[in-house]
Amino acid sequence: MPDFVLTPSSPLGGFSRDFGPVRLRELTDLAIVSAALPLGAEDAAGAALKKAFGCAVPEPGTSAQSKDRRERLLRLAPDQLFILFDHATPDAEAAIAARLDGAAYTTDQTDGWVALEITGPGCCAALERICPIDLHPKAFAVGQFVRTSMEHLGSIILRSDEDTFVLLSASSSAGSFLHAVETSIRNTC
Amino acid sequence: MSGPWRLPSGGLIDRDTTLGFRFDGRGMRGHAGDTLASALLANGRRLVGRSFKYHRPRGIFTTGSEEPNALVQLRSGAHQEPNTRATVAELFDGLTATSQNHRGSLEHDLMAVTDLFSPLLSAGFYYKTFMWPQSFWEKVYEPMIRSSAGLGRLSMQDDPDRYDKGYLHCDLLVIGAGPAGLAAARAAGRAGARVIIADEDFLPGGRLNSETFEVDDTSGVDWAAQAAGELATMDNVRLMTRTTVWGAFDHGSYGALERCTDHLADAGERPRQILWRVTARRAILAAGATERPIAFGNNDRPGVMLAGAVRTYLNRYGVAAGQRVAVFTNNDDGWRTAAGLAARGVGVSAVIDPRDGPAPAEVPGARILRGAQVVDTRGRKGLRDLQLSDGSRIEADCLAVSGGWNPNVHLTCHQRGRPAWNEDIAAFVPGDTLPPGMTVAGAARGQLTLAAALKDGHDLANSIVADIGLAPSKAPLPRASDERSDIAPLWHVGASRKRAWVDMQNDVTAKDIHLARREGFRSVELLKRYTTLGMATDQGKTANVNALAILADASGKSIPETGTTIFRPPYTPVALGALAGRSRGQNFRPVRLTPSHEWASKNGATFVETGNWLRAQWYARPGEKGWRDSVDREVEMTRKSVGICDVTTLGKIDIQGKDAAEFLNHVYTNAWLKLPIGKVRYGLMLREDGIAYDDGTTARLDENHYVMTTTTANAVLVFRRLEFARQCLWPRLDVHLISATDGWAQFAVAGPNARNLLRKVVDSEHDLSNEAFPFMACGSVTVCGGTPARLFRISFSGELAYEIAVPTRYGNAMMGVLMEAGREFDAVPYGTEALGVMRIEKGHAAGNELNGQTTALNLGLDGLISKSKDCIGKVLSQRPEMSDPDGLRLVGFVPVDPSQPLQAGAHFIDTDAEATMDNDQGWMTSVAYSPSLGHHIGLGFIRRGKDRMGDVVRATNPVRGNEVKVKIVSPHFVDPAGERLRA
Repeated sequence: MPDFVLTPSSPLGGFSRDFGPVRLRELTDLAIVSAALPLGAEDAAGAALKKAFGCAVPEPGTSAQSKDRRERLLRLAPDQLFILFDHATPDAEAAIAARLDGAAYTTDQTDGWVALEITGPGCCAALERICPIDLHPKAFAVGQFVRTSMEHLGSIILRSDEDTFVLLSASSSAGSFLHAVETSIRNTC
Repeated sequence: MSGPWRLPSGGLIDRDTTLGFRFDGRGMRGHAGDTLASALLANGRRLVGRSFKYHRPRGIFTTGSEEPNALVQLRSGAHQEPNTRATVAELFDGLTATSQNHRGSLEHDLMAVTDLFSPLLSAGFYYKTFMWPQSFWEKVYEPMIRSSAGLGRLSMQDDPDRYDKGYLHCDLLVIGAGPAGLAAARAAGRAGARVIIADEDFLPGGRLNSETFEVDDTSGVDWAAQAAGELATMDNVRLMTRTTVWGAFDHGSYGALERCTDHLADAGERPRQILWRVTARRAILAAGATERPIAFGNNDRPGVMLAGAVRTYLNRYGVAAGQRVAVFTNNDDGWRTAAGLAARGVGVSAVIDPRDGPAPAEVPGARILRGAQVVDTRGRKGLRDLQLSDGSRIEADCLAVSGGWNPNVHLTCHQRGRPAWNEDIAAFVPGDTLPPGMTVAGAARGQLTLAAALKDGHDLANSIVADIGLAPSKAPLPRASDERSDIAPLWHVGASRKRAWVDMQNDVTAKDIHLARREGFRSVELLKRYTTLGMATDQGKTANVNALAILADASGKSIPETGTTIFRPPYTPVALGALAGRSRGQNFRPVRLTPSHEWASKNGATFVETGNWLRAQWYARPGEKGWRDSVDREVEMTRKSVGICDVTTLGKIDIQGKDAAEFLNHVYTNAWLKLPIGKVRYGLMLREDGIAYDDGTTARLDENHYVMTTTTANAVLVFRRLEFARQCLWPRLDVHLISATDGWAQFAVAGPNARNLLRKVVDSEHDLSNEAFPFMACGSVTVCGGTPARLFRISFSGELAYEIAVPTRYGNAMMGVLMEAGREFDAVPYGTEALGVMRIEKGHAAGNELNGQTTALNLGLDGLISKSKDCIGKVLSQRPEMSDPDGLRLVGFVPVDPSQPLQAGAHFIDTDAEATMDNDQGWMTSVAYSPSLGHHIGLGFIRRGKDRMGDVVRATNPVRGNEVKVKIVSPHFVDPAGERLRA
């Protein structure tokens, strides 16, 4: 038994609130691991990813879900992916690295980000106040994501369902990000 | 009935809803659907304000956003808003408004005396007057001018309203919901396009609501309501009333201001206004046209109004703008005002038309005067009668003036497009160069008649719809007929001897324009600035074209030769609060918190902003009298035993790839190819021009895996620069970067007991002995029974020191654990001040030294520039100017009298030299009180510093007016041999 115990805390302490037409909650168990495709060995990395997740590597700017729907792969850049999955313990990177067996360079990004899920019929109206992206279903379908900036904060927005979005932003400014999203909801609800 | 001038029936107001309001303290009543202007007029109120310069009595001139005269202060207390146009202020129950720009009452303005001095106050008078005596300027003239300037008054309190911003996207943005706009939006909406239609008015319909036209065999008013109703039900259409599209910007983006609660007595929690950025694939500008007046003697009296406005008050608001109305028009449209008034039983005394020929309309009861002009008017606080060119007088309490209509081309010019002159309508129309994606429809394009405007909007929308790949709807074009609209230009009644106002808002007369031209201001742009014509809230919407026609006439040039001034955003005023949006107070920018912020808050920390970060600056303890006590204690305790500092803010860049070492070799000045796994190295980066850029340590965690640290300030810049280098300079290297700054909570654990403390936290299988984990070692460890962590043996303080990193989720807990484990050693948390003191004591360069002007040689780091390889900035760092052997060197300074403090920013002068720029030897960059030495110490750059150890110079600070004698010493004040950090 160690002398000291480290208790984890999420950037927003597990925030969750129902605003009526919009619900907002922090996704505390969402793990993010980045995978970089080695130069000249992209095909091998692609094959390893396909083997590990059962889906083809998505094209840059698009996302894909693993066969068992446990992971979502966001192709952020030609040589970079984010792998999102539920994983509470601080060994997400090791878990992915083991499945890729050195075919890609992996980095744990979980603690660098805060994840918010905004859902409900009013979520597009709220997001309209901070998100410069066109969220019309024709322009931004389920599964689509994009890197953008909201209230001066770099962020990633992913449409996980018709009326549900996952918002990722830096964990150090999580409080400001939450304030921005909450204000948008309050200003529209 | 709400006021003596309200007609018994008619209008688009809700007569069942009566609203009470106050103007200058007097209670009045209006109806839902009124503007403040229409309600004032209904109450028989003609005088509503005083003019800017001459304090002339002024009334309501228009019905829209072009209003130059009827500016009022709306609301009270902190909500007070000056210079609001009464013509666009929607009436609500309880509205309070006050008139502006008078001393004493509106009726008896003491400042009206300035009108008597008007010959002295001509164009550019303030450039000519107040010239002597010179000493009067600051004390007398300027305060006097300032107190007279401006119209309304600010509350001088914080704006209590909320504002918001937002982003909208569409296939087609329709700007204006008049006949052309509604026809366009309906056609595009029916075809399935994503449409946004915005109008500044609260009621869609534009001029249809002011006229008695028919469309599709129904009244124009009903047609507009039906069209708007249909648009409101379409999922693909967003109908935005009370929304002004005020600017056309790059790439099809438009600024739009939505006034959400200005029509409500209490906004509640809702934002008052929203500033939208609309991104549109295409836009149709259907902004309509603005009527222009004719300049003649004393044409600014209350009661003189635009003819179209008189018609709007009549038809839309059920208000007669006067009881005996005369009409002065050079075009057929003005006649419809006369005919409309007569038809509703309002007395029309005369129709005065300078043109000859048969009357375009029947006006029962009115004198018809063709070939005549108005030269003067009378009536002190409101029009009483007018004088014609033949000397005869006509009684009238309202004169409806029409000089023709100017298409609202403003937004077509926001990207430097120039309008073109159209002789047929005697007005400017949009030129050939429009903002990309914009087309213009209806009156804004010079299609001034109804059927033409409807067809224009309908057809243009259908062609845009086809162009973006949709099938145009088969719905037919709305049917209407074209009204008569002939015109013969008349800008200024030359026979007038009296002052003829061109720009009412800025009190610019035709005479001022002539004078300006005579004084050499011949370009319209110069004319504008010299006379102030076309400035302020209305931006000369009713004045500009007349002014340049008068200038053209005086210059003997044509109007197109004379040209227009540039139209710039905003089209109508936008409150600064709306531009700021939510970015005020603490929300001005995001705040980044360190992982131990919560712990620090509970343990006496004072925070300092470093960029967006809030960092603990020091941790005060009870009994400490000031920050110095806390900082001195933190330094002493750390050097004596152990201190802990959250250093998460330093940038961390995860670098992976087979060629990562080669990449580091390119970006750092020193050698990186042979750094073993498990080791850290200090590195220096140069800018391309050879100046020192950033420094930090990089650790090799694995064969192809490094973690770089950067300074806090440059974390983002270095990352961006490395991405550029990776992608553009060396794209063939296998190297991948990702930020890890926020992912790891990192703590410096420094002091002789650092190892002893960490041994209690790091799991026991990791050997921390000096042999197993020496200075500059690094590696992955586990802490507190298996939590992953990274340990680096590096030292900024000069002590035996480590930095330990854990996933950020454990950061706050880790700070507590380190303190708990350190209790037996009297461990202290320390902040950025103690961190700074210790780095100065150790002689480490930081931001003050790496200031973008200094070289590696200046910093004494020239040994770090490898001779055997190239790196960014190496070649240019070898320029002769940068290798001057007599140049600046970083050294330490101590006061000769140890009791004296030092100041950063002081410049070094030889003891016997005068303190001048020529004798400047260098400057002090960083100073601190050193608790270790018991006196102040400093770092600084001085010429030939390394060769001048022991020399005494003066550190002079002319800005603060002091001077200290200092001795040049080694910059390593504490443990120069580095024994402690290797212990």
